[in-house]
Amino acid sequence: MLKIKDARRVFFQGMPDEKVALDGLSLTLARGDFAIVIGSNGAGKSTMMNAVSGALMLDQGSIHINGADVTAMPVHARARHVARVFQDPMKGTAASMTIAENMLLAEMRQNPARLRRGLTRARRETYREHLSYLGLGLEDRLDTPVSLLSGGQRQSLSLVMAVSGEPDILLLDEHTAALDPRTADLVLNATLRAVTALKLTTMMVTHNMAHALEYGNRIIMLDAGKVLLELSGEEKARATVPDLIGHFSVKSDRMLLGA
Amino acid sequence: MDILNAWIALIPVTLAQSLILSFVVLAVMLPFRILSFPDLTSEGSYPLGGCVCAVALIAGVPPLPALLIAATAGFLAGCATAFIHLRFRIHTLLAGILITTMLYSINLRIMGKANQPIFSEPKVYDWLSPLSLSASWTKIVLVGVLALVTYLVLNLWFTTERGTAMRAVGANSDMAEAQGINVWRATIGGIGLAGAFSAFGGGLMVQSQGFADVNMGLGVLINALAALMIGEAILGRTTLRRQLAAPFVGAVVYYQLISVCLAAGLPPGDLKIATGVFVLVMLAAPTMGFRRRNAGTPAKESFRE
Ligand SMILES: Nc1ncnc2c1ncn2[C@@H]1O[C@H](COP(=O)(O)OP(=O)(O)OP(=O)(O)O)[C@@H](O)[C@H]1O
Ligand SMILES: [Mg+2]
Repeated sequence: MLKIKDARRVFFQGMPDEKVALDGLSLTLARGDFAIVIGSNGAGKSTMMNAVSGALMLDQGSIHINGADVTAMPVHARARHVARVFQDPMKGTAASMTIAENMLLAEMRQNPARLRRGLTRARRETYREHLSYLGLGLEDRLDTPVSLLSGGQRQSLSLVMAVSGEPDILLLDEHTAALDPRTADLVLNATLRAVTALKLTTMMVTHNMAHALEYGNRIIMLDAGKVLLELSGEEKARATVPDLIGHFSVKSDRMLLGA
Repeated sequence: MDILNAWIALIPVTLAQSLILSFVVLAVMLPFRILSFPDLTSEGSYPLGGCVCAVALIAGVPPLPALLIAATAGFLAGCATAFIHLRFRIHTLLAGILITTMLYSINLRIMGKANQPIFSEPKVYDWLSPLSLSASWTKIVLVGVLALVTYLVLNLWFTTERGTAMRAVGANSDMAEAQGINVWRATIGGIGLAGAFSAFGGGLMVQSQGFADVNMGLGVLINALAALMIGEAILGRTTLRRQLAAPFVGAVVYYQLISVCLAAGLPPGDLKIATGVFVLVMLAAPTMGFRRRNAGTPAKESFRE
């Protein structure tokens, strides 16, 4: 379960270009919720993700995961609960290390590193099996440095790494945006399969309204650092792409008027 | 022919020296290649190790504990560099220069003078006196074994979970952090480890030459860098094993090259330019296309700032 309460984060506080990225944002996800996060550029989606992962500290407000207050917990301590896939395929993997070594690093999110052998035969077998679900043949390239993989392969690997160990919270920030349409589909399908099979509590940012309607059990629309709209159940089932886009235009009208 | 004979006559001495200095080369490689933390601290931790070791020996500490105390001092120096980089966001190179500068005064304080002879104190090399080898071969055998053990232990360490985590911090520190790795701890520990190796080399050198000098670190860094470049050019960096072996192989080959220059009658004052040329050639070689095809240098490197 994830609970964000009155989250506030201001960039360049007190300067002419002050920017309120999160403006009293509150949000609760139940265990197993698959929330699709939408909103215009600069709405605060990535900032919210960063706040949940610990990469960014809040000025005010709190974040609880499974009832525990993690507001002040640094990234590496929060990693036990939170896994994420970034938009940039380069960010989620260690390029100079092999596929197997990257998988090992992901495994250490749950079980902090100890002074014992890393890549055991048993582990390699497990990694082979997990990677085979992708159907990309990565399972036969365990000892290949990740730098030799394509962006799509790297992103797929990041995904497998993120879902390994079944994190309490999975964060996906436009994780298919940098991929060509075919690869994006592949990674998205792998995502859906993993999230459904493992019942992961997930937040996925996307700019694709059709995806927002089709996948997940909730839609959360952010605007100017707040939740503008929340749809679930019946409402979500009935909503259409024009409905969603309508909410965007409200915002841009206001932006025009404000300007 | 004369050059050849002169060179061969120098081999035992230079081989012993190069094995000792391979620990400093290792101390340059670890931060630079494994942790992506280009670091100059070894220029200061090497004489630190020497001075601490000398003072400990004078105080009656046996030779091996003296070396370990020296290594501990080097470890702390490395930790200090890593800490000021992490805490104050000072560039790694600048952090190392600051610590090295301060270490000069500290070394002087530790010894109370610029030069400390330790001729009559016991040395680690005395252990092998029953073998009744020549002075140089004694050092070669002892330090050679130490280097081999270090190499094997490092190979093991970097394949453990913790060692893999440390490498991940160098490979992609944001990603490492997101996988639950404490970047501060790994960085401080890793740079500290490098400082310990450098100081250990300083201690070995002091016990070998029979004196410590606050200026003994002058230029050791550029020599170590040259040796590293040569080692990497020979072995490549495709695997962890090769990367870890490069400092040792590079140190031996580099000091033989220097020895050839000396044997050929190059005045010692010109050695620095020879060193500079070696480094330049090694760095330039890949761009000029006569390095081995599969020597394997990643196309782009990103270091921490
Ligand atoms: N590190 C930062 N420093 C300064 N301003 C920032 C920083 N990160 C985000 N911002 C600002 O905060 C606001 C919210 O940014 P954020 O990246 O969260 O938007 P987003 O919803 O993810 O947008 P997009 O759809 O373009 O990814 C923006 O105005 C942005 O300029
Ligand atoms: Mg964003």
